Amino acid sequence: MTLEAPRSGATAAESDGPAADVFVQVGTLTRQLHDALRQLGVMPHLQRAADGLPDARSRLGYIADKTASAAEKVLDSVDQAKADHAHIARQTRALAKALTADPVRAVASGAVLNFVDDVEASTARIDQHLTDIMLAQDFHDLTGQVVAKVVDLANDLEVSLVKLLVQVVPPQQQHKLQEVVLHGPVVDPEGRTDVVANQEQVDDLLASLGF
Amino acid sequence: MSQPSDLKFLVVDDFSTMRRIVRGLLKEMGCTHCEEAEDGSAALHMLRSQKFDFVVSDINMPNMNGFELLKAIKADDALKRIPVLMVTAEARKEDIVLAAQSGAAGYIVKPFTKATLEEKVQKIMQKLAATA
Repeated sequence: MTLEAPRSGATAAESDGPAADVFVQVGTLTRQLHDALRQLGVMPHLQRAADGLPDARSRLGYIADKTASAAEKVLDSVDQAKADHAHIARQTRALAKALTADPVRAVASGAVLNFVDDVEASTARIDQHLTDIMLAQDFHDLTGQVVAKVVDLANDLEVSLVKLLVQVVPPQQQHKLQEVVLHGPVVDPEGRTDVVANQEQVDDLLASLGF
Repeated sequence: MSQPSDLKFLVVDDFSTMRRIVRGLLKEMGCTHCEEAEDGSAALHMLRSQKFDFVVSDINMPNMNGFELLKAIKADDALKRIPVLMVTAEARKEDIVLAAQSGAAGYIVKPFTKATLEEKVQKIMQKLAATA
């Protein structure tokens, strides 16, 4: 990135009035900031991390798409497998009833052979659904690799920003440099007293409050 | 006491996958009447235009989150009797307490099991039957 502050700012300010003067001051400040960042050694890292952000966005989008697609695929397969399973269960109950009522007739009518064919076809379909479920898990491998790259980028960005922050924050504000805890799923509840780790703790908390 | 099959459920979550999972579990429990909404705002609109008996809602959603939906339901005379079961990844104690104080009928943290959902739904239905 190249930042060029006006070299002849005073002349421009004199000729164009207050607006030009503000422009010159902003340009000078930008130049000073740019130089300071370079001297601190932050700029190259920050620049590299910032350049990677659009790529990280697309990578995260890819992960979201891939995981959503896998979840849909699995749920579809489960729905279909359950339907086939329910069909076998129904046919089994019907055959049992027929055999109990009149075994000779059940066999003679071909009900038993039909049932065997039916079971064979249904189990073949169920097997295919299970294979589809297994294959849908490929998202884990693919997204895992992408996640690793995004984590690297986030680490670079964090290191650069923390370095910058430590350099510029006034001494009296140092105590405010605290870790920010984001809400949402708790990845590691160990040692934290402000969150629950499981449903049992939710129930205990609510019970202690009389709910 | 009412059976799950007698009740009409509204599942509110911004993730379609989670709506589908909750709906699937409710179906396995015998809940055949079930609709979906993708956020609190859509849910409130559906609640005011159709009759529902039970709401299962996420908290972290765009437009109107689960807390705002819960408060809107409890502030509406026509809706306040509908039990709202929160199903969420928010595991902070202050969120759980806030949900209870705002009138949530139950609180489930994700990930959860079918048994947990079944237990909470049954418990809420028992309470409803006792107060009816």
